[in-house]
Amino acid sequence: MPCERNIERIQELVDGTLGAIRRSELEQHLAQCAPCRALKEDLERIRGAAAALPALPPPDGAWLQIAGRLRQEGRIRETAPRPAAARSYAWLAIAATLVIAAGSSIVLLYRSSPVTAPAAVTAPAAAGNPNNAEAVEAVQNEVDSAQEQFEKAITKMDDLRKANMNALDPQTSEVIEKNLGILDRAINENRAAVKAEPASVAARETLFEALRQKVSLLQDTMSLINEMRKGNNAAAAQLVNKS
Amino acid sequence: MSTSKEADLALVARCREGDLGAFEELYRAHAGRLYSLAFRMLGNAADAEDLLQEIFLSAHRKLESFRGDAALGTWLYRLATNQILDYVRSRAGRAGQLTDGLDDASVLADAAGHRLADRAIDRIDLERALADLPEGCRVAFVLHDVEGLEHKEIADVLGIAEGTSKSQVHKARLRLRNLLGRP
Repeated sequence: MPCERNIERIQELVDGTLGAIRRSELEQHLAQCAPCRALKEDLERIRGAAAALPALPPPDGAWLQIAGRLRQEGRIRETAPRPAAARSYAWLAIAATLVIAAGSSIVLLYRSSPVTAPAAVTAPAAAGNPNNAEAVEAVQNEVDSAQEQFEKAITKMDDLRKANMNALDPQTSEVIEKNLGILDRAINENRAAVKAEPASVAARETLFEALRQKVSLLQDTMSLINEMRKGNNAAAAQLVNKS
Repeated sequence: MSTSKEADLALVARCREGDLGAFEELYRAHAGRLYSLAFRMLGNAADAEDLLQEIFLSAHRKLESFRGDAALGTWLYRLATNQILDYVRSRAGRAGQLTDGLDDASVLADAAGHRLADRAIDRIDLERALADLPEGCRVAFVLHDVEGLEHKEIADVLGIAEGTSKSQVHKARLRLRNLLGRP
């Protein structure tokens, strides 16, 4: 047992707040008293371990819940206008090319309304009507189908991108790969959340938002590749600055 | 090159416009630190997750008041700390234990209890022991030894005397030593 009268002084020594004279006295005591010395060493280690505690990863589903509640409260703009740079004719030409390459109606839907969720995504609100079970199931199937089409389109667009990435400098490629990686992680996380809560409209919407963002990034990447190939550095720089 | 203040203001402006991607960017940058703070101050994961959501929803509502006078991370940290403390106070109010730390007999018992000797302090064990501390001690310890606040700052945010903050932290350390030193 450490000396009772020294416990508080040892704490102050550990905190670095003990005055010089008392500190000197205590250090003389510590040299002779093993229990007090052990207490000082333990408290220093506890303080050090506490200060070194790392940040903990937040729970996987937390963001999904936050995004869902922001949507419910109407605080997210569903039709945010894209910056003017993305509305160039070059972008439209590339988008049209991508639509043809992807051969998917969901991309046409996306192109005509870039940040509006597919209609089927918001429809499960009908779940509140017990007499409408068949309609709910039909809507659910449509949502599943839309998601599948989205993902197929992304796969094809991504293949196209990979085949053309050599048009970009390594630094730009690295940034794009990094951003795609972030989006992939978000998509995987949201996909898991949808799997855990298949009936959650908020979960579906957040997954679709992530999918839309990936489509948007892939489209911008293809626009950039197109401008670089044409030697149009000004338009390319505009696209990079937009990102 | 833009400064961090300009970057903060640009991100906040996008969030204010209802850009969910921008708010997710803000969330990804700060959620870990704020979740850790909530988890350690509250002592359990379920409450911390609930509060994390409330903190970010509250932050979204209050973004209008962000002027860039402090860094965005600092502004969020203050907001989170206040919100966590409000929650702790309301919980302690119900249980009457925020300032009920450990009495002198407990302190002496802890001082006479187990010691660490050469045992390494495992992070998981430390997190678990933190959760076992009485609420008042845990909050003061987390703010001081984990988050690095001064006793005066802790006294201000908790509305207690500086000496009380010091006493709570010291009692927490002794209790942690006893808990971590158990065979």
